Amino acid sequence: METIDISIFSLSLVFLLLIIPVLMSSVYKLNMIKSMLFSVARMSVQLFLIGIFLKYLFLWNNALINIAWLFVMILVAVFSAIGSSSIKTGKVLLPVLISFSAATFIILLYLNIFVIRLDRIFDARYLIVLGGMLLGNSLRGNIVGIESFYKSIRKDSKRYLYSLSLGASQHEAYLPYLRESVQLALKPTIAAMATMGIVALPGMMTGTILGGADPQLAIKYQIMIMIAILVSTIISVLLNIVMTLKVCFTKYGTLRNDIFTK
Amino acid sequence: MIKFDKISLSFDGKEIFSGLDLEIGAGEKVVLSGRSGIGKSSLFGLVLGFVVPDSGSVFFEGVRVDEKSVWDLRRKVSYIDQDVSAGYGKVSDWLSFVWDFKANQGLDFGSERIFGLMDLFGMKHDLLDKSVSELSGGERQRIAIIVSQLLNRKVYLLDEVTSALDKVLKPKVVAFFMENPDWTVISVSHDPVWLESGNAKVFDLEAMEWKL
Repeated sequence: METIDISIFSLSLVFLLLIIPVLMSSVYKLNMIKSMLFSVARMSVQLFLIGIFLKYLFLWNNALINIAWLFVMILVAVFSAIGSSSIKTGKVLLPVLISFSAATFIILLYLNIFVIRLDRIFDARYLIVLGGMLLGNSLRGNIVGIESFYKSIRKDSKRYLYSLSLGASQHEAYLPYLRESVQLALKPTIAAMATMGIVALPGMMTGTILGGADPQLAIKYQIMIMIAILVSTIISVLLNIVMTLKVCFTKYGTLRNDIFTK
Repeated sequence: MIKFDKISLSFDGKEIFSGLDLEIGAGEKVVLSGRSGIGKSSLFGLVLGFVVPDSGSVFFEGVRVDEKSVWDLRRKVSYIDQDVSAGYGKVSDWLSFVWDFKANQGLDFGSERIFGLMDLFGMKHDLLDKSVSELSGGERQRIAIIVSQLLNRKVYLLDEVTSALDKVLKPKVVAFFMENPDWTVISVSHDPVWLESGNAKVFDLEAMEWKL
């Protein structure tokens, strides 16, 4: 059973639904019309362009182009992660780029080679879509992780320095903060996994089922992607923090005060 | 033991020290006096390498304090400050945390020793099971002092360590530090009990000179 096609006309009928929030916003003076319509418009344009782009990407299915596009996605994710955090981009860009790339590529290849067992491991359909899911879902965790780590040390600097004076090595001193930040970063993913399937069907499952897949197959993909997200999030959060340590701490073991944007 | 050699330090555009020269010999008991905000705590930061001077050097046991020597220095110098920040968990957890540091392997953190020190400072043993946040300021100060004893250090940088102690404990703690001949002590305090100690050498940071 194939996914039922939606014609352009039919799709425009979904836009008609927007009349409801527009009416509500004007009646209750919510002042949301502008931002909401702008968001919808932006999303529609971006997705439309991506749709065309992906069509050709899948058509060509060239391994090198696929990898290059994945790398572009990683770059955008990295800039987004650092930009949303209070850490200055310049300082941490390279280490974060390396850790995101490593986490994503390693997990993706593992999935493509051993789990899905693709003939073409750089196949566009799997590489781009799964890669996108890994990046998108681990992004928030990474923002939280790196932000929480450095901010908590800055806030708690007296205790951190006190630990150093009690004989702690830099590693021993920052370990409690690392522990807290990684736990915080992974909380949403772990919580989502706990109620998955009971509360709502996750996006990927919905997509595969609508695409004609048998629910049994859909859940296999969902389990696979959730575990992959968990693992790639923890790898990237840890690697992000560990690889940025050198640029964010002085040789005295103190936190540099020029790494924050505010 | 500790030498400040022509130290200049500014913070946020404000000048804290300009060409400070100060030398403290082994076994000396020095009390730093001067109004708040004059930089007393910064001196400790300079010794421990938490603060780097704009110019000048700090020497500890003849060795210049730099990013290599600080790590060894921090195992010899005990820093206790009034806002003493032991961890968030139970007192016993904090003690385990400190004992677990590689540098502290081999030190005696046994319950006998800890209880003995707690007795000395008038603390009930069951305080070990309390959460650090439940302790009073005075109790936290005494825990910090106890930790410094467990670490067997000989050089002490004390920042208002008697501020939350009562009339009985205050002179006891002052005597504890000031009357030990093997220790080098630098104490920052507004409390006259420190200044009145017989061994105290007072350095006035406002006038930048030793008071006789």
